[in-house]
Amino acid sequence: MSKNNSHDRNSLPLAGCYIVERSRTVAAAYAGRLLATMGATVVMLEPEQGSPLRKTAPLLNDGTSALFNYLAAGKRSLICDPQTEYGQAILASELGQAHIFIDDTPVKARNTQSLDPDHLAGQYPNLIHVSVLPFGASGPKADWDGEEVNLIHASGEGFLLPNGRSYELFPNRPPLKIYGHFAQYQGGCAAALSALSAWWAIRDVGGQYIDVSVQDAMLLCGAFALQRLGDGSLEHRATRSFRYGGVFEARDGYVELLTLEDRQWNGLVQLLGNPAWAKVEALTDPLERSRRGNEINEHVREWMAQRNVETIVGNAQELGVPAAKYRTPTEVVSGKYEFLRGLFSSCTLSNGRQAEVLVAPYRFQRTPLTLGHVPPLAQPGERVAAKETLS
Amino acid sequence: MSQLLRPLAGLRIADFTIHAAGPFSTHVLSQLGAECIKIESNARPDAFRKPHAVYGRMTAATFDQVSANKLSVRLNLKKPEAVALAKRIVAVSDVAAESFRPGVMKRLGLDFQNLREAKTDLVMLSLSASGQDGPDSHFAGYAPLFGAWGGLGWMSGYTDGPPVEMRHVMDHSAGYHAVVALLAALHQRRRTGEGQYIDLAARDVASAMIGDALVMASLGEAPIRPGNEDLLMAPYGVYPTAVADRWLTLAVRNDEEWRALTGVIGTPRAAHDHRFATADARCQNRTSLDLLITRWLSDRHAEATARRLQQVGVCAHTSWNMQEVADDPHLRQRGALTQVEGPSTEKRFAVGMPACFSKTSDVGVRRGTPSLGQDEDYVFGELLGLSTEQRAELEQREVIM
Repeated sequence: MSKNNSHDRNSLPLAGCYIVERSRTVAAAYAGRLLATMGATVVMLEPEQGSPLRKTAPLLNDGTSALFNYLAAGKRSLICDPQTEYGQAILASELGQAHIFIDDTPVKARNTQSLDPDHLAGQYPNLIHVSVLPFGASGPKADWDGEEVNLIHASGEGFLLPNGRSYELFPNRPPLKIYGHFAQYQGGCAAALSALSAWWAIRDVGGQYIDVSVQDAMLLCGAFALQRLGDGSLEHRATRSFRYGGVFEARDGYVELLTLEDRQWNGLVQLLGNPAWAKVEALTDPLERSRRGNEINEHVREWMAQRNVETIVGNAQELGVPAAKYRTPTEVVSGKYEFLRGLFSSCTLSNGRQAEVLVAPYRFQRTPLTLGHVPPLAQPGERVAAKETLS
Repeated sequence: MSQLLRPLAGLRIADFTIHAAGPFSTHVLSQLGAECIKIESNARPDAFRKPHAVYGRMTAATFDQVSANKLSVRLNLKKPEAVALAKRIVAVSDVAAESFRPGVMKRLGLDFQNLREAKTDLVMLSLSASGQDGPDSHFAGYAPLFGAWGGLGWMSGYTDGPPVEMRHVMDHSAGYHAVVALLAALHQRRRTGEGQYIDLAARDVASAMIGDALVMASLGEAPIRPGNEDLLMAPYGVYPTAVADRWLTLAVRNDEEWRALTGVIGTPRAAHDHRFATADARCQNRTSLDLLITRWLSDRHAEATARRLQQVGVCAHTSWNMQEVADDPHLRQRGALTQVEGPSTEKRFAVGMPACFSKTSDVGVRRGTPSLGQDEDYVFGELLGLSTEQRAELEQREVIM
């Protein structure tokens, strides 16, 4: 088994928690990643040719998957093919010491690999067994499969994107997904929090099986649109934009601007130099501002186009006006803010290169989180070593 | 049903959160069985109790998903006695959660240092735009700004267009991450007996959603904005169908799935067309391939086509609007859609837990949004032991208001 070269992890929130992960999908892998970063020992069971995620886009210039490296940081890797007797022995050994098992094996493929929930519950009564699948493991669509583009649209959010400026510019184009694997990341969160919840209850009820659906997780994330439907409004990307505010093009980049409160609106008027159009009495009423949103945006767009992003955003925030620069990944990874928060940590990737990799989007004050390295795919010698430890 | 049938039964949260991200986190915990006491006041009611004009909602909401399940009490935190009562609620809770601007809880005397005096092993969450300290901590922000700062907005969008504004899913994603962190801290408390303070910055969650692109940027490899494309899969995307504004999403991962797709298209020869014979070739000839798919779908209906493709193992789904989501038997059967009603709310759908538990199965939305202060008999009376007279007197002096 590859080693995790992390710091002393005994003080971390999930120290002592042993997790076995079988992941073909981003959702399952992200669940494991979240838990590994908080101190759990997470062992990926990979097929001999490696997890499919090792070959998933985007790739680095040398063909290594940037996505896999992000998702596998801090985990261990072990080759295990449950279709074989040897693989079954490794699986049994790993599950025998595991608190949590995260698995995305499709329902139809479980029986042949002895991975069905009833069997595992009988063998390991104290195991928290978390299944995370695109449409869940139960219900009429349990056997349906989906990639990110399918899942974000199956939850209703995809149909609503893009709104605002992108839709104004390209109203006839297809709806647009959020970058990357947003829906699957929510599925990963749902799997991780479900695992920790069930583990919390283990003293009362023992181990149990949890069936997590990425579609469901993304739907909960986008629940506000269902709430709007209950209010009588079927949302569409053409009309979902904020009445005023949004994405504006400045001289050297893009700005996001959003004023929800009266005091923020007053700050915006000041930022714009108190123009006559903004000082009319009617615009002191937020409802009237909403009605005249297009007119307001035209004025703001014209003003923004003549100025630089940093000037706009700096002055806006001084006045309490919510405004932000649309930052590129290069700006994020080299940002002063991120440096001071310790958002990134140096990490050895699976190809041996060093990169700055995001640790976690939260800080634990008493026990700061650490990031382990990315395990390369186990070599034949390591398989033997693993086998020798089985007994 | 028994409290034991909820995984977090017995946990209690003092909930000071506002807006969307923080309330989402405590709402999820409440779906899992935690008792969540929402602390607000007539002077500063939750946003859903007011119009939201910028969004186009001109009146108060009749239902608020992220407040569902919660208990409501009123406390005017501008009064020291109200702050003292809030501390007493924290003292009988396991978790305190807040999402004010950094500095507000300290000014109120309710920051982690103060609250630990009331509850030594407290687990506390502060959820903000840009963290509790650092150069941007004072910045005001909402979901679209989190996405802009964190890079997710830049990476989302048409390749030749502007960045895209993130909406409430950005808030709720921050809330999801907060739940994971809070539960880990509770396990840590169970193991060590010590509390924890969690400082979550929503813009960092936006960055976490582009973690792969940040790995590339760290190595000097500028990631491109791919729009709807996957760089290694084709066909992959959102395609028009016979009906206007009716889209089919499609993803073909390998040659086997490509052959299955051509079987459904009815052009088996396309499976052997050298332009599309391998994944690499299909990606290189993406434009021609998308044209082929678009022509095929021009007289097809999305829903029937998605079902047919799923039968042969091809990932496909209609781009659903919320009405179609609400009508879906699969989501209903799983409990992802659940009906709620209340004294001021007609029966309507809410979203339940995205997970089915085999033993602690009583998770989900059990009641609608609370009216302001509706649970004070239980919280002030039973939990804190205040008499009716004491409460009336506090109300008269606008401590409870």
